[in-house]
Amino acid sequence: MPSNRFEAQLTRFFYRPDEDVGAWLELAPEIAEAGESIEELPEEFLAFELGAEVYAVPIGAVREILKVPAITGVPRVAEHVLGVMNVRGEMLPVYDLKQRLRLVEVPQRVTGPTDVPRESRVVLLKDPEGDAGILVDRVQGVVRLPLSKLEPAPNLGGDRRAVAGLGRAGGNLYILLDVEAALA
Amino acid sequence: MAPPRALSEFVAEANEVLETLAHDVAVLDAQRGREPEPDLLNAIFRAAHSLKGLSAMFGQERISALAHHLEDVLDALRLGKVLASDALLDAILEGVDVLTLMLREAAGAAPSDDTARRVVALTESFVRLASGGQQTAVDVLDEVGLDPAIRSVFTEYEEHRLRENVKKGVALWKVRAVFSLEDFDQRLAGLNATLKPLGEVISTLPSSQPGDETSIAFDLIFGSSRPQHEIETAVQTMATVQPLTQKPVRPRLVVEPEPEAPRTRPAPRPPVFASDVSSPELTPLGSSSPSGVMQGAEPSLRSLAQTVRVDIARLDGLMNVIGELLTVRANIHRLAEVARQAGATPLPKLWGQELQKEARALERKLDELQAGVLDVRMVPLGQVFDKLARLMRRLVRQSGKDVHFEVSGGDVELDKLIVEELSDPLMHLLRNALDHGVEPPDKRIAQGKDARGLIRLKAQQLGNQVQIEVGDDGAGMDEGRIKQVAIERGLVTRELTDELERRDLLNLVFLPGFSTRKDVSELSGRGVGLDVVKTNLARLSGLIDIDSRRGEGTTFMLTLPLTLAIIRALIVGVADRTFAVPLNSVTEIVAVKPAELRTIERREVIEVRGQTLPFLRLSRIFGLQELPVERHFVVVIGLAQERLGLAVDALLGQEDIVTKPLGGRLKGVPGIAGATELGDRRAVLVLDVAALVEELKRPPAAVG
Repeated sequence: MPSNRFEAQLTRFFYRPDEDVGAWLELAPEIAEAGESIEELPEEFLAFELGAEVYAVPIGAVREILKVPAITGVPRVAEHVLGVMNVRGEMLPVYDLKQRLRLVEVPQRVTGPTDVPRESRVVLLKDPEGDAGILVDRVQGVVRLPLSKLEPAPNLGGDRRAVAGLGRAGGNLYILLDVEAALA
Repeated sequence: MAPPRALSEFVAEANEVLETLAHDVAVLDAQRGREPEPDLLNAIFRAAHSLKGLSAMFGQERISALAHHLEDVLDALRLGKVLASDALLDAILEGVDVLTLMLREAAGAAPSDDTARRVVALTESFVRLASGGQQTAVDVLDEVGLDPAIRSVFTEYEEHRLRENVKKGVALWKVRAVFSLEDFDQRLAGLNATLKPLGEVISTLPSSQPGDETSIAFDLIFGSSRPQHEIETAVQTMATVQPLTQKPVRPRLVVEPEPEAPRTRPAPRPPVFASDVSSPELTPLGSSSPSGVMQGAEPSLRSLAQTVRVDIARLDGLMNVIGELLTVRANIHRLAEVARQAGATPLPKLWGQELQKEARALERKLDELQAGVLDVRMVPLGQVFDKLARLMRRLVRQSGKDVHFEVSGGDVELDKLIVEELSDPLMHLLRNALDHGVEPPDKRIAQGKDARGLIRLKAQQLGNQVQIEVGDDGAGMDEGRIKQVAIERGLVTRELTDELERRDLLNLVFLPGFSTRKDVSELSGRGVGLDVVKTNLARLSGLIDIDSRRGEGTTFMLTLPLTLAIIRALIVGVADRTFAVPLNSVTEIVAVKPAELRTIERREVIEVRGQTLPFLRLSRIFGLQELPVERHFVVVIGLAQERLGLAVDALLGQEDIVTKPLGGRLKGVPGIAGATELGDRRAVLVLDVAALVEELKRPPAAVG
């Protein structure tokens, strides 16, 4: 140890910031890489259940899937905001999509895992306006929906702006969610 | 997109150099009309030089080229080839601004044609100014008979300083000192320090008559108007003093107007944050010739870098605490090992005591660590005040008004984050004071006031809060007009304004869409109103208030917390929810029985020690269930001079919390500052006390 400490002192003494280019060289590749982020083709979707319907979001929009954490209600916000959850120190909102999409009449109050069935999950979505979680009844898994076979959302009246389109695979119908509209 | 790291490092570094440069230039500018201090000029020259090198190293050719021209001008100035004319000083000031703009563009701002135009114009004037001077016709050094052998060793700059001294009739001396090789550096520094008050040490040369093997001799070329015996007394046995020139230097009749012959030079400015402009002295402004250099729109004064300069001693302190924490960890490990080996056998009583002791030590050290880290985040307000002083000096010059700008309290420290966010609101308020506050000289004289106006920027720390005042001695605000405008714009109803008190009327100017001045001036205005200032402050948990007297002036008072990073909070329960209330705004807690509540105009109030306070039920504000209680716990909130009682159902204790913003989409929920996690990892909402106080104050018509 003592020799080490001595070395550190010497280095400090002889250190010339002007000569030290090591740090810059290390940074150089970072600059080159910045431009080439590869856009993922949105053909894999995460499918989940809301009531009797099955919804899907592009897998690239999903940050992670969480067991339902403790959720703290926030006053003075829209009814479909369940509250905030603590994701490893980050405070993120949780939305009640069933309420938002008018799938249920009465808003449910969820403050933690004991208020929901065991299969419920919070799907944490990435969003430029700030990541947010949505409470879902069950996560089915990843489905591949061929992009060419996606249908536009049929006009059934009502406020269904959050539906981006429909997808079919293996005889099942998936409602594609427009994440931004759903969280608005 | 954030700039890549190499670039951001450059921006941070260049920004720091530029800030030092700007500070020194501001001091130089304040000394307009006098001969510039050589030390100061050198510091400015060095800063321009480093900026040139730094930007060249990072391929920032534009900045490097302009810095190079600036360096040329400064070099000519420091060598006395050109005079510190107004045109030259204006060009240097413009240079600092343009360099800042260019750095901003390098950091990712959109390049503007205006900047490009300014660069071209400035480069031309730099080139013209740098070559503008000519050499002195008669070399005064020849007249006094300086030995050419000695003269040949001087640099151009040293020769210039010799000449300046001779011109002023200051005698030149050769101070010879012999020091032991072991400690010559310290003793030489000591000699320098002794000589400095008496004159100017122009050059230090290794002596032409070397000492013996264990010592080294120096010749200090020293300019002083003190008699030889006085210098000899000062240096005592350290050195011998001889005249340098063969002929005595005689005071000349025609010299620059320089009243103090023996110039005592202040020690060079410590590089970090010590600021001349923020000292409580008056900084004279204005009354100089209008600048011919063109000016563009004001950029933000926020610094470009997200870095904090830290005194290494503070970091050492932190390191020590960490070292002590490591000992605590080792002790806890040892205790854990004892517990493991004990297995089913009961642990000795001593073990429990020791564990408790370690727990306490851990707590103490963590407190120290926390305080230390907070300390590192603290920076003096002077950082922003300096920039504002510079800006004001220029704005005053442009405005054609005659104004004193008085700055004090630059040494008050605040969290870096807050200091940064403050610069724009303060800039706005100062411009308002100059533009709308202080009247033109003729009008002032007509009203029997001093022709020279006064604008004050003052900071002081009051406990956990910092108060900043921006004041002027101008016309003051016209409530009548404020009322009229607010009604015209549909911001309030006429009936309401009749009920409002004077102070509430003044506060109407903070409503969005309010601006009394019909013509939008060049300096302020531009559609950005005081509402923006207020919003910016609210984000910092700050409050703003106005005091204004017709004909006497207007003062804006800003109240801010010291830090936003880690705060002590009171944990309270309301209905089945838990909230955190920042303790820095809590003045006391009282219990009130429901029967003690009174109402005034149907609003509930309580009496605390003879003072009547608004009583707000947190449950009602937030639309939560109201539980029947035997008594209310009332948290008395005090922010600036506002006080109110906040009723909660339960008091759950105190915690140190770090407030985190609610994720993007829930930003700006009124009354909620953010959330924090307590022991059980559940998110707990932190109240935005300033916003709640605001809500209470807001005129009802403006709500919603």
